[in-house]
Amino acid sequence: MVRWRARWTGGLAALLLMTACGATPAPAAVDEPVAPVQLRAAALATPATCSAGFVPHALEHTTRSGAQVAAVYESNGAGVALGDLDGDGRDEVVLANLAGDASLLWNRGALRFARQALPVTQARAVAVVDVDADGRSDLVFTRRFEKPLWLRNTGLPGDARFSAQPLPDVNNTFYSMAWADLDDDGDLDLVAASYDAEQLKHQGQIFTQRGGIGVFVYWREGATFRAERLATAAEALAIALVDLDGDRRRDIWVGNDFNVRDQIWLRAGAGWRAGLPLDSMTENTMSLDWGDVDNDGQFEIFASDMKPVDKDVATMARWLPMMKKMTRPLTSDDPQHAENTLQIRGGDGRWRDQAYERRVDSSGWSWSAKFGDLDADGSLDLLVVNGMIARGLFDHLPGAELVEPNMAFRNRGDGSFVVAHDWRLGSTASGRGMSMGDLDGDGDLDVVVNNLESPAMLFENQLCGTRHLTVAPRMPGSANPLAVGARLTLRLTDATLVRELRSISGYLSGDPAAVHFGLPPGAVIGTLRIDWPDGRVSVLRDLAPGQHLQVAAPS
Amino acid sequence: MVTAALTRARRIRVPLWELLDPRGHGPAMAWSAALALVAAVVARALGWPLWQASALAIGLMVPVFCAKWLADRRRFGGTVTVLGILVVLQGFHGLEHVVQWIQYHILRWPSFISSGLISAANAEWVHFVWNWGVAATVSWLLWRGMRNRWMWALLVWALAHGAEHTYMMVRYLQVLDEFRALGVSGVSAQGLPGFFGRDGWLATSPLTQETFLCRAPGVTTAVRLDVHFWWNIGETTLLLMAAHVQLRRTGPPSA
Repeated sequence: MVRWRARWTGGLAALLLMTACGATPAPAAVDEPVAPVQLRAAALATPATCSAGFVPHALEHTTRSGAQVAAVYESNGAGVALGDLDGDGRDEVVLANLAGDASLLWNRGALRFARQALPVTQARAVAVVDVDADGRSDLVFTRRFEKPLWLRNTGLPGDARFSAQPLPDVNNTFYSMAWADLDDDGDLDLVAASYDAEQLKHQGQIFTQRGGIGVFVYWREGATFRAERLATAAEALAIALVDLDGDRRRDIWVGNDFNVRDQIWLRAGAGWRAGLPLDSMTENTMSLDWGDVDNDGQFEIFASDMKPVDKDVATMARWLPMMKKMTRPLTSDDPQHAENTLQIRGGDGRWRDQAYERRVDSSGWSWSAKFGDLDADGSLDLLVVNGMIARGLFDHLPGAELVEPNMAFRNRGDGSFVVAHDWRLGSTASGRGMSMGDLDGDGDLDVVVNNLESPAMLFENQLCGTRHLTVAPRMPGSANPLAVGARLTLRLTDATLVRELRSISGYLSGDPAAVHFGLPPGAVIGTLRIDWPDGRVSVLRDLAPGQHLQVAAPS
Repeated sequence: MVTAALTRARRIRVPLWELLDPRGHGPAMAWSAALALVAAVVARALGWPLWQASALAIGLMVPVFCAKWLADRRRFGGTVTVLGILVVLQGFHGLEHVVQWIQYHILRWPSFISSGLISAANAEWVHFVWNWGVAATVSWLLWRGMRNRWMWALLVWALAHGAEHTYMMVRYLQVLDEFRALGVSGVSAQGLPGFFGRDGWLATSPLTQETFLCRAPGVTTAVRLDVHFWWNIGETTLLLMAAHVQLRRTGPPSA
């Protein structure tokens, strides 16, 4: 029988408004082992304002390149992560920086933030991960020319909260990273990959002689990591840990820049098998994200690249000089194309690109791209942040900057998209990292963008008439307390929504440890099934919309 | 048996073929073709680019063709001769697009290297001038009395094709203007999408975004090379049909 105990003392701020709703964890009619859960429900805050769009707020952080005008590689900016670092139930915002301190913006509620400078410079990716599984979320940064840095959360208030240390036995310089339990042993493994072109520019001939860095899997073994090298070279701007061959085990997709084909390793037994189950792919993969855009229960995978949205004369004149410089001749049977891809898995197991047909093939000079049900209609929308500043590449433009708006694509309900100009997300502030999460406790997805050379922005979701259910799965006492990799299936009257909790996605940007469901008007919630990363399953019934659920499955 | 079949084939009257028949220029044409082929092979062996070798070969054949067309003019008159010249030249233009298609789809060359035999002629203004030249010539043939439904269809097709090249030419010149304003030099604007095809006007216009038109298979999904392959296949086919019907109707050229 299911236990139903309110045991959380972790300080959900929303407790103030909490209503213990009548959700009933029910016995799961499934074959997998059933996980008994403890459930805490809190009512979501009522949105203060409704303005049919997103409202921008400048944040107290600017990512600087360190140059008067950024050159290539400095141009790539840095990531952002969302996560609850003090256990108050509100996600903090962590912004990486290149030439300056990173910023930790403590969430004080009502979109008020208190900045704490983190002495981490030359940072690229950032993720909120409980590395030591002590129940306190830590921060991990990759850095341009140094090993990844682990800011271990000690739980002490103030500056002493974090203890900076390297990840044990992670001894290379990496650009991108991702965390998941790859060997089903219950703990989080790390996949990290390098951006060799930047190292070559920095180190010169020495790097050439030494060879590339490549792609590594770091298997978690107790308190340390064991390295397994999968490739000796990479130009990795993004990594996706997602099942690509339908065996319910996570595979590795490394997205490479500079016409270097993406690398894919499929889990085979206890090892890996390199493969490329794609008919076409991006030429310069800038970010990777996956989500069920057509609500068929299978994830689709989006990769962003560089292709102008408008083909008008002025736009083409801005782009063409760069395209002539950067474009390498690729034969017509090369799977790479310089445009976004939306990979959809066919019955034969092959992935086929449908981005052009579904109208998301071009979004500009794109960086972080993520799915999220921004308008809470039950279908995942897509947000892509854009822009480029590069001395030597765009010298023909003022400030060497290609000014481009961020692009929001509204899902039409069938997995095809249309540009949502009316959402007012088209900032032209040269975005790089981007993440989505509910930062004001009203359930909808707000957006944080880490721009280059201009203040980071928070876009408050003020779309009207939306309904939500947010779920934070937890596995207290396990080696994966944030339940990274949990798969949540919400059955509604006429739709089934599948979401997954992951550590990082898009471009260099960590995701919050909560899952968001937008609820279409009139939809009634049936059941919520949670497939826990350890193979157990829980099914919850009698859920009401407008709640934030903390669902704990103690190990 | 073979001889009998050839004899039967010769009895089938195809007036277009009679117009194109080299007649007395056959040996000279064969020799010039052989010479052109050898010259092209030698030029390639010497490291000349494909387009220069192709241009050399064509140049070696031009005098014989000119001689034939002068003879045709004396024999058939100007209008029929112009029709014959148009068939040959548009045939060669169509062949260029077939070669591009083979280079891209069969030989798997990169798209911007798949430029046909005379890649230097794969320029925006050349296509623009050529296609309006075809439209003007067809209009003249109609004016001169060569009227049949295929010729009218060819005129419509040629005008539409010319209109697309006008759209591309205008954009090409506007981009060059933008380049000048931005201080950019040494960058070509060749190869921008046109009205049809992938990323073309029809595929990207706000007017079509909520309609099936913006992703109509082929019409708004084919790459530019394929779009113009089909434009020229259509144009050449219509021209051949128009010429065939016209020459059958007005009697044999030799009459």
